[in-house]
Amino acid sequence: MTTASSVSAPETPTPQPGRLRRFAAWLHLHKRVQRNLLLGGPLTWMVVAYFGSLFILLLGAFWDRDPFTGQVQPFAWSLDAFESLITNPVYLTIAVRTITIAAAVTVTDAILAVPIAYYMARIATPRVRQLMVVAVLMPLWAAYLVKVYAWRTILQGNGFLEWALGPFGVDAPGLGQILNAWVVLSYLWLPYMILPIFAGLERIPNSLHEASADLGARAGITFRRVTLPLVFPALVAGSIFTFSLTLGDYITPDLVADAKFVGNVIYDNSSLGNLPLAAAYSLLPIVVMIGYLLVARRLGAFDSL
Amino acid sequence: MRHLRIPVLFSAVALLLAACGGQGSGSTGPTPIAEIGDGEGELNLIIWAGYAESGETDAAYDWVTPFEDETGCQVNTTNMTDSNNGVSLMQSGEYDGISASGDATTRLIASGLAAPVNTDVFENYDAVFDDLKNLPHNTVDGVNYGVPHGRGPNLLAWNTEEVTSAPTSWEPIWEGGADYAGRISIYDSSIFIADAALHLMATQPDLGITDPYQLNQEQFDASVALLEELDANDPLYWSDFNDQISSYASGDVVIGTTWPYQVNLLQAESAPIEATLPEEGTTGWSDTWMMYSEAEHPNCMLMWMDHMMSPEANAQATVWFGEAATSEPACEAAEALSPGHCESQHADDPGYWENVWYWSTPQEDCADDDPDTTCVTQEDWVDAWTSLRGA
Amino acid sequence: MAVDTARYESADPDIGSAVPAVRLEGVVKRFGDVTAVDGIDLEIADGEFFSMLGPSGSGKTSTLRMIAGFEEPTEGRIWLSGRDMTGVPPFDRDVNTVFQDYALFPHMSVGDNVGYGLVVRGVPRAERRTRVTDALRMVRLDGYEARRPSQLSGGQRQRVALARALVNRPRLLLLDEPLGALDLKLREEMQIELKAIQAEVGITFVYVTHDQEEALTMSNRLAVFHDGRIEQVGTPADVYEHPTTTFVAGFVGTSNLLTGDAARAVIGRDGVYTVRPEKIRLADPTVEPADDEGSAAGRIGEVVYIGPETRYIVELEIGGQLVVTQQNLETSSMEALETQGRPVRLIWKRRHVLSLAKSEGVEGETEEETSR
Repeated sequence: MTTASSVSAPETPTPQPGRLRRFAAWLHLHKRVQRNLLLGGPLTWMVVAYFGSLFILLLGAFWDRDPFTGQVQPFAWSLDAFESLITNPVYLTIAVRTITIAAAVTVTDAILAVPIAYYMARIATPRVRQLMVVAVLMPLWAAYLVKVYAWRTILQGNGFLEWALGPFGVDAPGLGQILNAWVVLSYLWLPYMILPIFAGLERIPNSLHEASADLGARAGITFRRVTLPLVFPALVAGSIFTFSLTLGDYITPDLVADAKFVGNVIYDNSSLGNLPLAAAYSLLPIVVMIGYLLVARRLGAFDSL
Repeated sequence: MRHLRIPVLFSAVALLLAACGGQGSGSTGPTPIAEIGDGEGELNLIIWAGYAESGETDAAYDWVTPFEDETGCQVNTTNMTDSNNGVSLMQSGEYDGISASGDATTRLIASGLAAPVNTDVFENYDAVFDDLKNLPHNTVDGVNYGVPHGRGPNLLAWNTEEVTSAPTSWEPIWEGGADYAGRISIYDSSIFIADAALHLMATQPDLGITDPYQLNQEQFDASVALLEELDANDPLYWSDFNDQISSYASGDVVIGTTWPYQVNLLQAESAPIEATLPEEGTTGWSDTWMMYSEAEHPNCMLMWMDHMMSPEANAQATVWFGEAATSEPACEAAEALSPGHCESQHADDPGYWENVWYWSTPQEDCADDDPDTTCVTQEDWVDAWTSLRGA
Repeated sequence: MAVDTARYESADPDIGSAVPAVRLEGVVKRFGDVTAVDGIDLEIADGEFFSMLGPSGSGKTSTLRMIAGFEEPTEGRIWLSGRDMTGVPPFDRDVNTVFQDYALFPHMSVGDNVGYGLVVRGVPRAERRTRVTDALRMVRLDGYEARRPSQLSGGQRQRVALARALVNRPRLLLLDEPLGALDLKLREEMQIELKAIQAEVGITFVYVTHDQEEALTMSNRLAVFHDGRIEQVGTPADVYEHPTTTFVAGFVGTSNLLTGDAARAVIGRDGVYTVRPEKIRLADPTVEPADDEGSAAGRIGEVVYIGPETRYIVELEIGGQLVVTQQNLETSSMEALETQGRPVRLIWKRRHVLSLAKSEGVEGETEEETSR
């Protein structure tokens, strides 16, 4: 550029960057501020709402309560809630029942989910696979309560089961069977087991299966020695869902089985005003799940989430 | 209860906030409001199902809309499943009032949650039957803590197709339970222990039960043992009246305890259901509208109390639920809705009600003046019920 | 193991003494509308190191997978050692494969990986152990039994995959671009090693690659795949020195085609001709070619310095371009790059001009000398 042309050229000032752009540029150079802006909101939420409420829950377990009026007395410390939990054997019975059903639901879902997921991931054509993914997800579109009430109409007297099996002399199971809870909960949480296993199976390179066949293994041996060990972490990941969801459920056992789970005791006691007992008892599923998650982590479940 | 998924946490937070906020209310004994002022535009009530109809189920029964039109108080209601639940809901401090049964009223008064009311402010109080005034469960030291809504018995209901000879006592449930194993409908609340005690009062006089709600340890244990026998026959427990109606309608249950309300609804649907008040007597309730001591809308609440004693509203409400009206004018109004209502419900027949044991709170001192007697507490009742239901 | 090259050059399956290790007859593979393999006839002799060379999508891998049994041919038949393989699953074929991604089982140790084929075939434990040890020794990984595949380098994984296949002593080893993921140095080492191992075990190797240099250096014979067909089968020298089609000329080496006006002006005839870049000499424009030499005038366009040699892209005066590679005997990179834009004369021996006019047969003059 010559001097002459710079004189004759109209003054074109360097475009002044907008305030937003300048802020963006400044942010770019200040990674910490960037990170704080990104995480500030969610982290505050986590700490205040999430851990805060957990902390109050823990606190509530140690509050005293007027035995006559049922009025909870915050910050009046007492171990009464824990004492009730220990002295009344019913709470152990309920805990054992809940954990047993949670385990049964988990095993059932695993047994059902593995073949379905295997078919979806390895055998089905892409079109069929898409349809199956939709089919697996479909129940999740319906509200939980709707599904449980649908099961009630299946199980109860004059219900679907009685209509279908009545001619063969089979009565409706009614709504008082603990097995109902097992069946319905297995149904409810099955998608949560299928999807991780499906994803886990999809992640196994096809060449591993081919290599196994190539080395002389039939399909059964390949499944047992290659597929299953590789998909096992995904199975454990799925079991976290089925187990914890069952552990925390109280609506299904009440509606289809007339049975008390840990959640029912927590709910009943909070609705009946014995909050300290509810809080103390709710520590049980928390402790159980922490143990479960520690084991799951050892089994590599979190690598496949 | 299951329709209200109030997380424990929120209750805890509410309690914490309440604790941080104003403390020590109720101890000084606030003076009742002397005159009803203008409505606050809103009213939040804890009710027994069917206690506040706005014509949604049957257009002929609507005593909420006229109230709203007249007072401008928008009524919101929450159903309680049992008295324990009602007390707990009142503790949240979010409601202006409750239709409390006798086993809740004493607790609400004792904990200062119920406000004293001056009955002089109500137009319709004078006409109330005398035997419904100043009852021990809602009046302490001459101070009224509410006004009556109505009273009624818990009934024995059965499916006439399955139970062909009409029962006249509770015997089919307690002694003959095995015949109906898996098909008995039982109220899911600790207060039902009293029903067992009531039956023992008739069948085992040796136990010396004089009040099914105030039981010494021996009487209590015998009652629980009777309940355990019943429980072995796999009854279906209900806490939501809708659940019970659908159980009876589907035939899952054929006999059990119920409120007149469900019987009315089932019979309206032509279900083959009959009900009776068994000869050994029954448990029942005498409900009181109570106001929260720190109610946000006290004027609306007082207007509601007065409204519920008015002939039209009281007639509709008591006919709808199937309980006894509270005043002579209400009985007259009820004639139009259900001829012979007050007669069949024994509204003005004090003798009849001696056979009905109103729900009341089990108390350590047995609610009497005898210092030597001790009774099993409310808390132990709840604990025993949890054991029974959870086992 | 010394392989008698001559035997394969004259290989005539009907006369050949042994049954061919692999025989494909009219093999076609279609995936829906796509024809991946479009009618292939091929015989691979026992003990041969045979390469299937071609760009991706040419059908070479599909052919390999049909031999392994992972895919069934849509049409045609496959015989392995004289046995018809129609309907025989992979686990019943006496074939093992080294996969492009190695396909090592990540949840097993190296020893378990190598021993997998022996376990599923029920080989007793003691024998298994010695064979696994031997196989790992052969690939120079003795002592690595307890490691996990994830703890190994790419080259080591490759060798585990090889050991895992060889430990089963198959009659036929299929290798699907086994060196594709390795860096250049390692790849060259492994080429030598693979060749040595093949000589040691004497198993027939069928080697799929898209790297022409790899195919040329390692194979006894190779087949050039293009669009689902085989363009040419022959020894590396055959294919390189006498490509029969423009595709082979282009894919094996640099294409350097002379067509149309350029062909008429330079060669004096119509047709398609090629001269390998290393056969062309760069000279001053004034230099006259000898009698047995052809030449063309041009100007140096781009200069690509490759280290040992330099590649010059020369724009011909009569149109078209030729690539010339010259060893950097004396030139430095600076000097090489400075030549850009200079007029030059390209000179080559007439006998190094190959005619590609027809897809079959070789018309151009040939010579015995094949060294590069």
